[in-house]
Amino acid sequence: MTTVIPGGADRISTPLHVSGPDAPWHRVRESMDRYGNAVVHTTWGEWLTAAVTEPSLRPLLGRDWPRYRRTADPTVRYRFVASRLATKYTAAAALHTDPVELDLAYKIGGRPYLRGLDQIDVSLTHTDDLIAVGVSRDGRIGVDAEPADRRMSYDLLSGHVLTPAERADLDPLDDADRTAAMLRLWTLKEAYTKALGQGLRLGFTEFGFGVGSGDLLAPDGRPAARGEWSFATHRVLGRYMLSVARHDAGLDTSRDTAARTMLDEGFMGAVTELLDVDRY
Amino acid sequence: MTITAEIIHPPGAPFGRTEADAHARAARLEALLGDPYDPANPHGLQALFAADDRGEPPAATETLLAGAGFGAELVPAAHGGLLTRADLLARALRPVFRRDVALGFGYGITSLFAAGAVWTSGTARQRQDVADLLLNGGRATILHHELAHANAILRHEFSARRTADGYRLDGRKDVIINAARADLQVVYARTDAARGPRSHSVLLLDPDRAGSGHVQRLPRVALPGMRGALFSGLEFTDCPVPAEALVGAEGDGVGVALRVFQVNRSVICGVVTSAVGTVLHSAVRAVTEGRTAPVAKRWHKPLAGVFADLLACDAMATVVLRALSLLPTQAHVYAAAVKYVVPDLLREDLEELATVLGARGYDHASPVYGALDKLVRDLPVAGLGHAGSASCQAVLVPQLRGLAERSWFAEEEPPPQLFRSGSELPDLDYGLLGIAGGGDFMAASLVGSADRLAPARGTSGTLGALADLAEAFRTELRALREQCRRLPTSGAALTDPAVVVLSDRYAGVVGAAGVLGIWEHQDGSDPFLADPAWAVLALSRLAGRLGIPVPDLPDSVHAQLLDELVRRHRDGLSCDLDAVSHAP
Repeated sequence: MTTVIPGGADRISTPLHVSGPDAPWHRVRESMDRYGNAVVHTTWGEWLTAAVTEPSLRPLLGRDWPRYRRTADPTVRYRFVASRLATKYTAAAALHTDPVELDLAYKIGGRPYLRGLDQIDVSLTHTDDLIAVGVSRDGRIGVDAEPADRRMSYDLLSGHVLTPAERADLDPLDDADRTAAMLRLWTLKEAYTKALGQGLRLGFTEFGFGVGSGDLLAPDGRPAARGEWSFATHRVLGRYMLSVARHDAGLDTSRDTAARTMLDEGFMGAVTELLDVDRY
Repeated sequence: MTITAEIIHPPGAPFGRTEADAHARAARLEALLGDPYDPANPHGLQALFAADDRGEPPAATETLLAGAGFGAELVPAAHGGLLTRADLLARALRPVFRRDVALGFGYGITSLFAAGAVWTSGTARQRQDVADLLLNGGRATILHHELAHANAILRHEFSARRTADGYRLDGRKDVIINAARADLQVVYARTDAARGPRSHSVLLLDPDRAGSGHVQRLPRVALPGMRGALFSGLEFTDCPVPAEALVGAEGDGVGVALRVFQVNRSVICGVVTSAVGTVLHSAVRAVTEGRTAPVAKRWHKPLAGVFADLLACDAMATVVLRALSLLPTQAHVYAAAVKYVVPDLLREDLEELATVLGARGYDHASPVYGALDKLVRDLPVAGLGHAGSASCQAVLVPQLRGLAERSWFAEEEPPPQLFRSGSELPDLDYGLLGIAGGGDFMAASLVGSADRLAPARGTSGTLGALADLAEAFRTELRALREQCRRLPTSGAALTDPAVVVLSDRYAGVVGAAGVLGIWEHQDGSDPFLADPAWAVLALSRLAGRLGIPVPDLPDSVHAQLLDELVRRHRDGLSCDLDAVSHAP
């Protein structure tokens, strides 16, 4: 695995490979401790056994169960299951709980989240057989992956994907480098808009990245952020480009993200005590 | 011009216990602050953004607020101030918050959040002393105790040891707003090592009287949000505190916090919504400026949707702020639910507006487009992120079973004054606020609204859609009842994540009840609010978040909201329930 852009490398977890429900999930917790976030990747085949044999698949899928049931195409169906299971297991590791306890829900723009447990944000992407999940306790996170050999016509697409400042950076490159650089920028832009929960609704020419620095820039090349955003791109499994966008809201959140410790004992105790008085 | 409190409240005017009076005070403040978009205005957005960029409080505007008698808004009328009801307070202060949330907190409303402990349990002497302090332009701050999953602002706490003549205070906390300039420090100090409801006590500290050598002022801390607010730390070492500094009884701290937080949470929801209104205005400007053609189709959904959310947030906040006066023993559940829902909704709204603003959102210094960037940074500090929502869930979770068993589908509806604009309500009395039990008037209100709308179910048009949505939320409440009845009454099992999840669904359901209640009690004087369209769109978005199936909305819904939004933008009116005029 190689890190393509070093920009956010010290603030974003290196992607960890997980191989199904029995993955060494402690690595997610270690990554959360160290970076405040964790990024995992897997392939849907690694979840096939679980998808077929898991006795608690229905509660595990929760509100996604009907969608799973009505998906006829087996490939689509198992990829869907695998991506949801991977998301829930990753989140459960970060929350120190059991995946079946979690309610994976979706916001208006389609962003997945863990209902009731806002100590972590979550993002999910899949392409071909790759699934990647990002979780963060510091703020929004977005992940996006594309096959590294995906052909993108620079001439056809650059005007729709790149800002004038980015085109100025890429125009002088040779064709292969330019295509690779545009693909990388594409995944970064997807990751950023997914972190915002907006997908493609935010036009890709409305913001850009410093080709060398990886910093978020306005279309004219001026800085668009003050260090609250970090970005990283990695090559995973030798054939995918995986980009991560991570926002730090700056609250220096608790390192403890466990679901069971989030309810304040003093507040709970005071409320419970009075309810007990009411009851008798 | 010398500005005095008399400008805010002219002598001879009838003392203000009405919405009209609060609006009049807001209008005077609005006029004093002037046109936010004028680059030459020393209190305009350009000046406020520049101060934020320098990491300084906006000095000229703070001076203006001091002269305008801001402090009087935070002092109960019984002690010579203007504070009568929390809903009126929020309305009176919105002109500040819609310009700069950090100024509102930092100048600002933090003094009320601190003084709340005294308004709740203080002696007559303590009340009058704090009232005099705030009326004379003084400032109070809170030294919070540490809550579960604490972030920088809630982390660490102080402990107080009893001595023959008072207490000795120890401990260190690094991030306290106005720590260096507050004239009064309200400390929630640990007085019992055991964890639990009697662990803390409230102490009033006069920084000038704390003995030298016992207090160390720690350096300023820069947060990415509210950069102009002054956060710094304090460290106490064996610091003597006189016995008369105790507020209420020893061990009352957690209970006092639970009462005071209700007001603070509700007021925050009532004021930060107006700040998002400023960003919504900038987004409308972005898609209309220099255009004669109608707003491009792709912006209809985000603009109309965010407008609907802001009306919903204002509806929820207005209901809970009124409940603090009208149903003080029962408001705690709704205060926790609304504070759980509103900041999250507003955060998503800002992200949705980022798509509309596009590259303009990076014009950080621009008075017309810079509001997004600043509020994205300020809002998490105002809402306290996960620790803020978890503290609300800690209030909701232990009550869900009792509510499911005894309240939902069984209780009487609340009085209509709760929802009706212009209603006369009792003054806010912090001492009356309850912290547990008392039922669930908003669940009852939801069931009542759904009953009354039932005849329209299945019909076409917006009223039919509203009736279907009301029924969908009632169905969700019914499902919740089945699950919550099976919950343990107390103990460790309540902290199961699957139980915590239920508090999220519950908060969304009663949030919807606030929207329905406000819509139902419109008097018809505003045809836009009287029409169901805004409530339909707001409820469909709340339902979508809960995973409740949403009926197809009539095509006209988005158009109606967008038309009203563009009209309000053109006429300089706020994007809330009041549609008040902004300064020209």
